[in-house]
Amino acid sequence: MLRLHGIMGRADDRAYARQLHALEHRGGIELLFVPPADAGRKRFRLTTDRGTDCAVSLDRDEELVDGALLHLDADRAIIVRFGEQQVWRLKARDDASALKLGWHAGNLHWRVRFEGDHLVVLLDAPIDTYRARIRPLLDAGEVVERDHV
Amino acid sequence: MSRLALTRADEPMTAARVGIGGPVGSGKTALVERLIPALQTRGIDIAVITNDLVTAEDAERVRRSGLIDPERVSAVEAGACPHTVIREDPTLNIEAADELERRFPGVELILLESGGDNLASTFSRDLTDFWMFVIDVAGGDDIPRKRGPGVIRADLLVINKVDLAPHVGVDLGRMQREATEVRGGRPVLLTNCRRGEGIEAIVDLLEREVLFRK
Ligand SMILES: Nc1nc2c(ncn2[C@@H]2O[C@H](COP(=O)(O)OP(=O)(O)OP(=O)(O)O)[C@@H](O)[C@H]2O)c(=O)[nH]1
Ligand SMILES: [Mg+2]
Repeated sequence: MLRLHGIMGRADDRAYARQLHALEHRGGIELLFVPPADAGRKRFRLTTDRGTDCAVSLDRDEELVDGALLHLDADRAIIVRFGEQQVWRLKARDDASALKLGWHAGNLHWRVRFEGDHLVVLLDAPIDTYRARIRPLLDAGEVVERDHV
Repeated sequence: MSRLALTRADEPMTAARVGIGGPVGSGKTALVERLIPALQTRGIDIAVITNDLVTAEDAERVRRSGLIDPERVSAVEAGACPHTVIREDPTLNIEAADELERRFPGVELILLESGGDNLASTFSRDLTDFWMFVIDVAGGDDIPRKRGPGVIRADLLVINKVDLAPHVGVDLGRMQREATEVRGGRPVLLTNCRRGEGIEAIVDLLEREVLFRK
């Protein structure tokens, strides 16, 4: 459990830009998805997209916002997102295709999770912008889209 | 700001505020009376606020129970619409909670019982960090299917008076299943507040979700 109290600022504050950018390249950005119905809460327990169990409290007069920065250290930042994480589940046709898909996902700095033999991409932008990056693999049937939720 | 100390986790904490709502007579006060000793046994510092229509009946009942220092029990008069003071304008309750925190620094959890209402009553997030909705078996096993906002949105649904199930022809397993289903898998717990059964599971949940003890 990571105990967090209060909002440090917003992820788009210029003061944090350099540090957040550096963390992004090292996969150190974790998103905490807060369902809209829970956005007004001052104490809650939620798990980030990377699996960190967060126990969050705010001052009574503090308002949670989309993009709030809750934690920042040398290895990771935790940022609030309102709503639910959109994911895109992919499966490779064979080992060779899987290597290619893994190479692309890494190069593109996609945030991913592994579920058995599926690669689950955590989406931060419309899905078509992701599709476009691996279009040849999809068209050749080397990578198959399982679902998108 | 130091680059290494970019977190505010050392700030002073305020008490977790936990709401208890539900229809008239479902067992809200009975649950409060069970939760008090269960929380105290685990060393949790608590206070209570009750909302009654025009009297302080529930507050008096809890004060006289001998379970808790009567000073730690505050009464808010809700007027004719009990949901108004927990949802549309919770100022009176917020003030009562602030006041308890001032008088008892170190209080970790404030239980807030709403006046008995209907299935549509919900708590404002400005007032509570976590709230439960208490229904009882005798109200009928079709209550979850009616999808009242209280049943659907509460952080925890408590189905009380399970001892009455055989007498009113309620299939408990089915009632709990259906309740879990309409709530999209969020917690549903069964209690018998008359005998004090099922209380520990509620305390476990509170310890995890709002007290952050485990
Ligand atoms: N059989 C049975 N009776 C219960 C149980 N819990 C509460 N009761 C009884 O139900 C009645 C109502 O209980 P209360 O705790 O006063 O209910 P409440 O929800 O606080 O009622 P209001 O505040 O008036 O809305 C009392 O007679 C209790 O003894 C239970 O688990 N089983
Ligand atoms: Mg009562």
